[in-house]
Amino acid sequence: MTGPLRFERRLDTPKWLNVAVPLASLVLAAVIVAILLLATGHNPISTYHEMYSAAITANGALSSTFVFATPLLFTGLCAAFAFRMRTWNIGGEGQLYMGAVGASATGLALGNWPRPFLIIAMILGGALAGAVWAEIPALLRAYLRTNEILTSLMLNYVAGFLMYYLIYDSTSYWRDLTSPGATVFPTGKTLGPHANWPGITIGSFTLPMGFILGIGLAVGLLVLIRSTRYGFEMRVMGDSPHAANYSGIRTKRKILSVMGISGGIAGIAGSSQIGDFGHVLDPRGLQQAQYGYTGIVVAALALYNPLAVVMVSLLIGGLTNAGFALEGPSFPTGLVGTMEGIILFTVLGGEILARYRISWHRRPVVAAGTARPSATGVVAVGTGAPSGAAS
Amino acid sequence: MTDAQAVSPTGAALVSTLAPGAFGDMPKALAVQAIDMTKRFPGVVANDRVSFEAADGEVHALLGENGAGKTTLCNLLMGLYRPDEGRLYVGGKPVRFHSPRDAQDAGIFMVHQHLRLVESMTVAENVVLGSSAPRQLHFSPRAVEKTVAEAAERFQMSVDPRARIWQLSLGERQRVEILKALCRGAKILILDEPTTVLTPQEADQLFSSVRDMAGAGRTVIFISHKLPEVLAVADRVTILRQGHSIATVPAAGTDADDLAALMVGRDVSLEATTRVSQEAGAAVLELTGVWARADLGSDALKDVTVQVRVGEILGIAGVSGNGQRELAEVIAGLRPTTRGMITIGGARLPSGDPRAAIDLGVAYVPEDRMGTGISPNLSIAENLMLKSYRGKAMSSGPVLSNRKAIANAKEMIDRFDIRAPGPRTLVRQLSGGNIQKVLLARELSSGPRVLVAASPTRGLDVGATQYVRRVLADTAASGVAVVMVSEDLDEIFELSDRIAVFYSGRVVGTLQASEANRQQIGLMMVGVA
Amino acid sequence: MVIAVVNSNIVLAVVVSAIAFGTPLVLAGLGELLAERSGVLNLGVEGMMLMGAVCAFFVSQELHWTSDLVLLLAVLASMLAGASMALIHAFLTITIRVNQIVSGLAITIFAGIIGLSSYLGQVWNIGGVAGLHQFNQINLFGLKNLAVLGPLIFNQDAFVYASWVLVVGVMYYLYRTRPGLYLRAVGENPAAADAMGINVTAYRYAHTLIGGALAGLGGAYFTLALAPIWTDGLTAGAGWIAIALVIFAFWRPDLLVLGAYLFGIFSALGPTLQTHHVTALPSEFYSALPFLMTVVALAAASTSWANRRIGTPASLGTPYTREQG
Repeated sequence: MTGPLRFERRLDTPKWLNVAVPLASLVLAAVIVAILLLATGHNPISTYHEMYSAAITANGALSSTFVFATPLLFTGLCAAFAFRMRTWNIGGEGQLYMGAVGASATGLALGNWPRPFLIIAMILGGALAGAVWAEIPALLRAYLRTNEILTSLMLNYVAGFLMYYLIYDSTSYWRDLTSPGATVFPTGKTLGPHANWPGITIGSFTLPMGFILGIGLAVGLLVLIRSTRYGFEMRVMGDSPHAANYSGIRTKRKILSVMGISGGIAGIAGSSQIGDFGHVLDPRGLQQAQYGYTGIVVAALALYNPLAVVMVSLLIGGLTNAGFALEGPSFPTGLVGTMEGIILFTVLGGEILARYRISWHRRPVVAAGTARPSATGVVAVGTGAPSGAAS
Repeated sequence: MTDAQAVSPTGAALVSTLAPGAFGDMPKALAVQAIDMTKRFPGVVANDRVSFEAADGEVHALLGENGAGKTTLCNLLMGLYRPDEGRLYVGGKPVRFHSPRDAQDAGIFMVHQHLRLVESMTVAENVVLGSSAPRQLHFSPRAVEKTVAEAAERFQMSVDPRARIWQLSLGERQRVEILKALCRGAKILILDEPTTVLTPQEADQLFSSVRDMAGAGRTVIFISHKLPEVLAVADRVTILRQGHSIATVPAAGTDADDLAALMVGRDVSLEATTRVSQEAGAAVLELTGVWARADLGSDALKDVTVQVRVGEILGIAGVSGNGQRELAEVIAGLRPTTRGMITIGGARLPSGDPRAAIDLGVAYVPEDRMGTGISPNLSIAENLMLKSYRGKAMSSGPVLSNRKAIANAKEMIDRFDIRAPGPRTLVRQLSGGNIQKVLLARELSSGPRVLVAASPTRGLDVGATQYVRRVLADTAASGVAVVMVSEDLDEIFELSDRIAVFYSGRVVGTLQASEANRQQIGLMMVGVA
Repeated sequence: MVIAVVNSNIVLAVVVSAIAFGTPLVLAGLGELLAERSGVLNLGVEGMMLMGAVCAFFVSQELHWTSDLVLLLAVLASMLAGASMALIHAFLTITIRVNQIVSGLAITIFAGIIGLSSYLGQVWNIGGVAGLHQFNQINLFGLKNLAVLGPLIFNQDAFVYASWVLVVGVMYYLYRTRPGLYLRAVGENPAAADAMGINVTAYRYAHTLIGGALAGLGGAYFTLALAPIWTDGLTAGAGWIAIALVIFAFWRPDLLVLGAYLFGIFSALGPTLQTHHVTALPSEFYSALPFLMTVVALAAASTSWANRRIGTPASLGTPYTREQG
């Protein structure tokens, strides 16, 4: 760190900070937004109340929240899983599209299979499509060391065009060519009734099957990361690539498999869109929703913890739901995004506080050479040979 | 050279050996003078009342073994460190440097071993990058190339300003660095072990440039541990040992033996090892004709052939940077070989494959503990199973048993006396000695056939050091072939059965420890066979 | 969009609309190019463009002074808005060292169609009303009626001319000035630049802010020149295309402007070609082609042979910390 502000990693993060800081950040965010609302002539209390109602308590509100939360759960897991190992998969958007394409193809082709098998097929179809789409940047990263941020980003556009083409610009398998409305405006073929994923209905509230699947995935990922050899290798690679290499971990294969799983999860997000909700491939809707990119943000807020992703996806899902439901002249437009943004800023900034201790130094620190022994007791010489002991 | 001209180790006052007539009739002006420089780091006094001076137009070598204090002194001169005590004069005026910028303003520049150049840009652009010229907005490649060409001409550094750095050899890149410094007004140039990465021809070219620079009135200070080149190019030599300045002598009229003696010290016991050698068994680890590249592309290992036997400790002696680290990495599979063969128990080790090395029974305790050997943000238990997690003891199929990991960790913490709150403690919170114990515990518990330990006691306190040495001896006694790279000759002598000396990437001598003496080893380490 | 559907002028029409499509891309793209050259990836361009658009429109609607002055102030407002957003991103990623991807996305969400720009649009009540001021075509040197080139080159508005000037300016900056040289060094090898006394942090901050300002300027094109009106999310993804464009152009301004117009041509051309059955390949293929080519080019450039010659900002996406041994 140059300049007078210095960040020193805390040796030991007190457990309470890990919970307190995100909570405090959320509170801070709520306060900042309240001030903004006040400054622009809105009543924060009533606004928050309206949002709460629209997200949770109103008729059908909770179900809608889960509708928005489900895809975010998957794309959030997609990003969280990959980011933990420092493979920056930002192609979740495109992997979701491909998953939707794959799942709807499966659902259409195998439409008369018995429901359970069809659903499994759709899940697999979507996962496979998403995984394959993710393997392109993965292969390039593993074997050519191409920056996967850039490649996965580019492929999002390509997937978008492909999806668009299938419905709006071709006579493809996915496109509905027969039903009356279809001649007026291009739409996809609606999937048969077996392809509707069952939800659990409790009173007026429906829990989509996708969300349950997502929770299962979250638990599964957590177990994978914490209790298996695979997860162990992931954690080592994410922490110290050198140590990973040193201990004989096959890093190339790891990159391929982690990205594949990550893409597969995003693909299942696409399957869920088809199976749980639309039952038809809707490129425009998917592209406007931007679930993939939002998923990255969900993952970041969840600090890349799969179970936390479940929580955060509900939070963001609820906010998004409220935003749509309340849309109108009396409710501030754009409040949802503004809130999400401020939450992100406060949580991300706060997380640094938890991990680092900030100190202010009057005099700028002399280059890198104020040699403090590092934890190994080796004197750190900022210039000169890396293995430089005082010599 | 007689004893009378040597200075006592306390280095209280510098006896100037600028005899009249040494440089002609007029004694030259002192470009830089350091008096009683002291620099302390936790646990070590790197420079203890060191005094040093160099005149205009002089080539002055700083000679010493590992840990002598050469680099520290130079870092003090170039403003990277601030001295705890002592005074510094440049051109006769007292100065106080707060940063390298200050030193550069005073005309002192250092060329490091790791060059800072932007590979895809041209020589001219790199020279301009370093320049502290007032903010001229416009930059014309042609004009700059012309200026740099003129400067190269003037300073006699032959280099093509239009060449891109990636096209240049290491020797040429070094020349670019020197040219950069000269263009910024360097009057005193410090070179840190400049010939490490050079071929012999490039080294000769460097020396010729150095002589030219001196001829033009500049002062060149260079750090070295290689006696032949020091004698070839320096006017005077200052020897440092263990943080003290021992003597300053003119190069003419001195020979290698005298310098080596000063470097190594005469009062050290010439007695050999304290180790009782075991009956050595069959050769387990064999390197035959091994060549390997260093990170920067030069050859780090040249035609290395050694064997290590069961129950034997082979000490690898040498000044750091002569290929020992690369040797360790090659055996551990972390660095590929370009030629030659390595076998362990007769089975060939595939080049550059760490997993194969582990499977063949190689354990490696690296020099760079925090960076390579451990995963700092994982727990002790997790680090302890970094190599064994695949085995039946830790996992059943794909599932890793946390319970077994913790239990195993507890046992090892006990056995190796690792001081930590518990097995779940993150390794980065441990002290250096305890990190080393974690490393040793892990490596040894895998039942290896070969153990490679690089600088195993560096930076450790007395207690930890003794402990580690004991463990190494016990390990060998239990039938493991141990390769120990160490910069500490005491340690080499204490523990080794045989000693192999590395110089410039080659094994320049292999002897039984019981038959070797310090002087002999010391000479080999500095290139005097 | 100006599309003259007269067969004989179809090529001209396509090019003209390509320029209109491409101008905000060039402006925002140049900004992103500079930021990425310093090593900072900014995925918040879309949000910055929208903030620039809404702020510019606000100034243009609220100030009742002479048109020229108002437009100038509106332009300045847009740049200030974009730079403010960029300041958040810079602070988070450079000083606090938050992940660049996450921070950029946060800005896009914060300021984008569901965020602050729409919020302000509503608060200021400027939506859906025609703009009072607009940048009109300038008859440059009076040559607007020249054959072929006339309408293309001599009859554009100030934004288009500004974008051309900026392209030349940025090229000059990068390759013929010292700060530009230093910038390239910072992006390619921050450790070496740091060792040579260049203040990496300052360069990253400065160029990220400039990037934001230019993104804001690009956004202002929509509300001050194109069709002066404000609606939520008006830029319709132009910011994202600008990001892709910078990578497609391999961080070179000359390729950037070509790429921007190419994208524009593909957008306009695709449907045109299809209706005239000129090509069997769907227009989406042509739209997707540049992105696919970029992936291939990136892969080719990562081979060490290419890498050392082309010198991409290697440090893109990673925060710079001085190695402490």
